Amino acid sequence: MQASRARLFKEYKEVQREKVADPDIQLTCDDSNIFKWTALIKGPSETPYEGGVFQLAFAIPEQYPLQPPQVRFLTKIFHPNVHFKTGEICLDILKNAWSPAWTLQSVCRAIIALMAHPEADSPLNCDSGNLLRSGDMRGYRSMARMYTRLAAMPKKG
Amino acid sequence: MVLSFYLKHVERLAGNWPCIKSKKKKKKLARLMASRSSKDHKGPDPCPICLEPVKEEAYLDRCFHSFCYRCIVQWSNVVSKKHSQAKSSMKCPLCMTENFSIVHGFNGENFQQHYISQSHDKNNLSSAHQFRLQWYNSNARVSRKESDVHLYWKLLRYLRRNIWLENWLRREIQALTQQEDVEIIVHHIHGAIENFIRRQQQDHIKNVMPEDKRKRFRELISDVARPFLFGRTERFVDELESFLVLGLTVDAYDAICMQNLPGASTSSD
Repeated sequence: MQASRARLFKEYKEVQREKVADPDIQLTCDDSNIFKWTALIKGPSETPYEGGVFQLAFAIPEQYPLQPPQVRFLTKIFHPNVHFKTGEICLDILKNAWSPAWTLQSVCRAIIALMAHPEADSPLNCDSGNLLRSGDMRGYRSMARMYTRLAAMPKKG
Repeated sequence: MVLSFYLKHVERLAGNWPCIKSKKKKKKLARLMASRSSKDHKGPDPCPICLEPVKEEAYLDRCFHSFCYRCIVQWSNVVSKKHSQAKSSMKCPLCMTENFSIVHGFNGENFQQHYISQSHDKNNLSSAHQFRLQWYNSNARVSRKESDVHLYWKLLRYLRRNIWLENWLRREIQALTQQEDVEIIVHHIHGAIENFIRRQQQDHIKNVMPEDKRKRFRELISDVARPFLFGRTERFVDELESFLVLGLTVDAYDAICMQNLPGASTSSD
């Protein structure tokens, strides 16, 4: 569809222009396919994800922006709203609360916010959700921290 | 200006996010989002949907956020398909305010209003409604003799009650506003007509020229109908007068219109 291409191209230009503006997000587009994007986001500070760099994969539908992009984590992450195996994300703005005014950039920002504020009541990762719901913050933090170290940080010699 | 608007939008977006419950968190999220292009906004704001300069500017009727007409209508169609039941409102993609219509096509004098329910309520409004809207959009007029109009006012034919008038009014107003529930407007306009006739009955002894009566009637109905029909008021008054002068049933009146519509077979939307 012409409309989705035009808009993605517009977003691409915007991302190039604002590259320096947001050091937490690095969005890149597949050279051969404008409907495939990847993002690298930094784990927010004061969370177990701090210091980690997480990779997201965007698959954009032809009807974009009337339909939301499909986003998933490629980097393993221990978070109640992210499926541990598939990386699927449970976030209302990516489903029924989608608005065409969101951009790939602002979706990344929303995901960073979700990392900082996990919602234990709609878990995709039950283990993580249960730890949070039972109030075991220490258990949740240490598990999340461990997976951040294992999957999202450069290996130390 | 732009920044404060943006903050507001972003705060509302955050407000709609069930994951974020506390106010503090919402504020934080708003700040996170607000960093988005807060710095450089050259020229007018682009359409939030296609990100291009706005084409055929259209506004939502409550929050006044503007979009390309095509973009916002497309989005309203997507939203309406998601709900099995027809909805008469739609959330603004920017601020989530509930809006009831899209205002567009402003040409310095008139504008058009596209009601949210229009796209799916169409099923509830019959093909006769469709035809009437098409009729109002065309320049066609019912063929009537000016002498008939004159006689109608001269021979006090208006005193004869037209029993089809109320149904006809309801149908016309439904077609023009593209809304199903128009009882209040119908009652209002019908009441004004009845009042006019009653007053004529009382003082028809006084020697008022038929042309003056006619003029007074048209002015009265224009004033009453204008708040609801806007730029189409004059045309509506023309139609009303034709309907009354011809004194036909609704179906018979439609049949005459059908004959008068140029290229009646081609339908426009």
